[in-house]
Amino acid sequence: MARAATRSPAKGPGITAWLWAGGLVTMWGIVSPSSLLIISLGMLPALVAYFCDRTEQKYALFCVGGLNFSGVFPFLLKLSDDHSFSAAMNIMSNVFSLAIIFAAAGFGWMMFISIPPVVASFLTVLAEARVKTLKSIQKKIVDEWGNGVSTTDQGAAAVVPHMADDEDAD
Amino acid sequence: MAEQPLEADEVAGVVPPEMAEMFEPADAPAENAPQRSGAGGPVILKDRYMLDTATPLTEFDSPSAKAYMVEDRRDLGRKLFALICSPEIPTRLSTIRKQKEDESPGRLDLVDWDVIYWPPLGQRTMAVIYGRPLGGRVQNRLARKETKITEYDVPRKLAEPLASVLQNMAAKEAPHRAIRADNIFFLDEDMTEIAVGENVTSPPGFDQPTIYEPIERAMADPTGRGVGTTHDDIFALGVTIGILVLGHNPVAKIKDDDLILARLDQGSYTVIFGNSRIPLPLLEPLRGMLNDDPAARWDYNEISNWLTGQRTTAAKKKPIKKAELPFSFRGKEYVSPRALARHFSEKIPDAVKAASDDTFEVWLKRSLGAAEMASAVNSLIQNAKFHKDGYQGKDEFVVCNLCMILDPSGPIRYKSVAFMPDGFAPMIASEMLHNNQSQMVGEILSHDITSTWFNLQSPPFPGTSELRANFSTLKGFLSIKEIGYGLERALYEINPSLPCHSPLIAHDYVLLIEHVLPSLDAAAGHADTNQRPIDRHIAAFIAARFDQDIHPHLKALGSDARDTSIIGLLSLYAFLQWKLREQQVLGLASWVGGLLGPAINSYHNRITRGDIEKEIPRLVRKGSLPELFDLVDNAERRKDDRDGYAEARAEWLAAEEEVRDIEGAGDERITKAERAGQQAAAVLAIVITLTVVTLLLILQTW
Repeated sequence: MARAATRSPAKGPGITAWLWAGGLVTMWGIVSPSSLLIISLGMLPALVAYFCDRTEQKYALFCVGGLNFSGVFPFLLKLSDDHSFSAAMNIMSNVFSLAIIFAAAGFGWMMFISIPPVVASFLTVLAEARVKTLKSIQKKIVDEWGNGVSTTDQGAAAVVPHMADDEDAD
Repeated sequence: MAEQPLEADEVAGVVPPEMAEMFEPADAPAENAPQRSGAGGPVILKDRYMLDTATPLTEFDSPSAKAYMVEDRRDLGRKLFALICSPEIPTRLSTIRKQKEDESPGRLDLVDWDVIYWPPLGQRTMAVIYGRPLGGRVQNRLARKETKITEYDVPRKLAEPLASVLQNMAAKEAPHRAIRADNIFFLDEDMTEIAVGENVTSPPGFDQPTIYEPIERAMADPTGRGVGTTHDDIFALGVTIGILVLGHNPVAKIKDDDLILARLDQGSYTVIFGNSRIPLPLLEPLRGMLNDDPAARWDYNEISNWLTGQRTTAAKKKPIKKAELPFSFRGKEYVSPRALARHFSEKIPDAVKAASDDTFEVWLKRSLGAAEMASAVNSLIQNAKFHKDGYQGKDEFVVCNLCMILDPSGPIRYKSVAFMPDGFAPMIASEMLHNNQSQMVGEILSHDITSTWFNLQSPPFPGTSELRANFSTLKGFLSIKEIGYGLERALYEINPSLPCHSPLIAHDYVLLIEHVLPSLDAAAGHADTNQRPIDRHIAAFIAARFDQDIHPHLKALGSDARDTSIIGLLSLYAFLQWKLREQQVLGLASWVGGLLGPAINSYHNRITRGDIEKEIPRLVRKGSLPELFDLVDNAERRKDDRDGYAEARAEWLAAEEEVRDIEGAGDERITKAERAGQQAAAVLAIVITLTVVTLLLILQTW
């Protein structure tokens, strides 16, 4: 299933959606070109994560994008004091700003890489515990009912006449 | 063939050596007072009769049973004796029962009978108690000249009472078949009243010397002489009268074989009394009674006419069929086909060669004038050639049929036996149990040999339809191989007087179905309890004697599955104990209880098994097989076990499926776990983002 999910190409947005998106971005560029600049440059790691994650769920996008946005958001707030395009350019040309933005995105990548194995190990431990419980139940069943219970043989019981039958016959 | 009353040395071939001592000469001097032999002690029969093992009464011995003194503890003055039957020889149980119920004058009074432990034999056997005839044996008294029976006394003193009692017995019970000179007694000391002796301690005709038997039955083995008819009793009566009147057996010195050949050649009367001085008034009656043609032999009406002085028909002597020229076989020449048949049966390969030769057919046609016989022999030989690989082509089968063609009224002669069809029962008992000839008996039934014999009889043999039906039933049993059927079943079905011959209980002389469980109970003390307390003999005996339908029990018993088989055994014995209201059988319950492992293991639930195992000793101590059976094979418990097993199985399979689902997923499980991890990371990242955004907004606002 997972393989199928990864293999099947994600159906891209339609032309209408692209037109809407283009319209909105144009509007956004007209209304607030500074924030558009910060977002478009700052959220590049998220865009990379979107393209790298071929799964349908796009967990990498959520993970990297989320923390990437956390890194971008303080600089968006700075634009509330000076909403000019040059202020946005100053922010985005500042190494320190870029370091914060990409470090946050990197932290997102790190989470995306490091958490799954931990969770997988945890789930494996849980599964093993369940298997142990089930096998213990099976052993109890075999102890009570014999090995025959664990085979396909139905273990036909002896068919013998009953005196009750004879009594009825009388 | 042992034709005389069994002598000790003859007995050796019939009964085991330890019992041979029972068969000493029957006739001892009448004045023999009871002699204490000092063997064993008293044995009580039915809490009333005390049988003294140390006091044999040899003067009352029968050829197959020794006589001992008996004391009636309720009537000490009563003179009795007991005949101790040989455990190896079938008795006539139905006749015993009838004689006990019916006090018929003219025969020894059968007082009582039972199966008892007899110390000299070291085993149980049947004892029959008779009132003692005070006058002793007629033959002995005549020999000692203490009395005399002249030809004028014969009708009143001898023939009338004997004929009367024989006719009465034949009507009420069965033909006597043991009428002979030494089996006639004086009931009183004055020797005025005579009575016939016992006829129940051996099969019909078994104890008879050959001269007392009509020629066709005389040629049969003692065990196969058959129940016979009144004609056979009349023949024996004629011989008895002749011998008592003469005072001796005129052919005592002639060998049986020579005597039979002579009788075949010249006729019985001529051979036995032809050279004796038979009184004139007895000539015609003896000729009539000794006529070799049963149809022309005197019957009781003729005897009655003679006794009352009425006119009697002269004995019609049927000419004996003889050839003009003799046929030579193994150096001897024969003119009678019956004599030839007798010798053919003794030399089987030579007989086949002789019969296959054209000269034999020519002899039958031209010299004997029997074209039909020749044609039948020719067909037989051709049939044998055609079926040379089948049983029809075997020499024994061919000679058997050849003898039937040559001597249709003679006995059936197959391999080493010669028997009349109505004597089949004791014959197979003897052959199966003492001569180990089960296969031969099986062949007689499966090859329908008796059917061929019946077809050749003209006029039909008495009771043919009943006998045919019996043989058909026996053949049916033979065709089923399972325990409870087969040859053993045939043996006990056709021999209602035969005790069970299973090695487990043979020493207990188990004659009645009621004795089976007590005997097995006793056997538990000395038998190998690792073996099952049943075998083919016991199963067949129960099937033959028990009047209930035990087919389902036998089917279970015969199962290849050990658990079903042992439960079948238990169910059979439990059914017996329940139906027969038997007392507790502690030993047998313990024996069977020890073998129930497979039956207990047939339960799936181990807790149930444990419970049953715990409960068995308690029920064994009660000696109740029905309760033991109910414990081991309770229907409700079985159902619970089956249902519980099905549920447990479903539960086990569900767990197994889940385990396989968990374990067997492999890469898929890892992928799933990773996906879950990624999801968790994404959720965590969103949460962090929302928290950071919220905090920053709050800080900005302040």
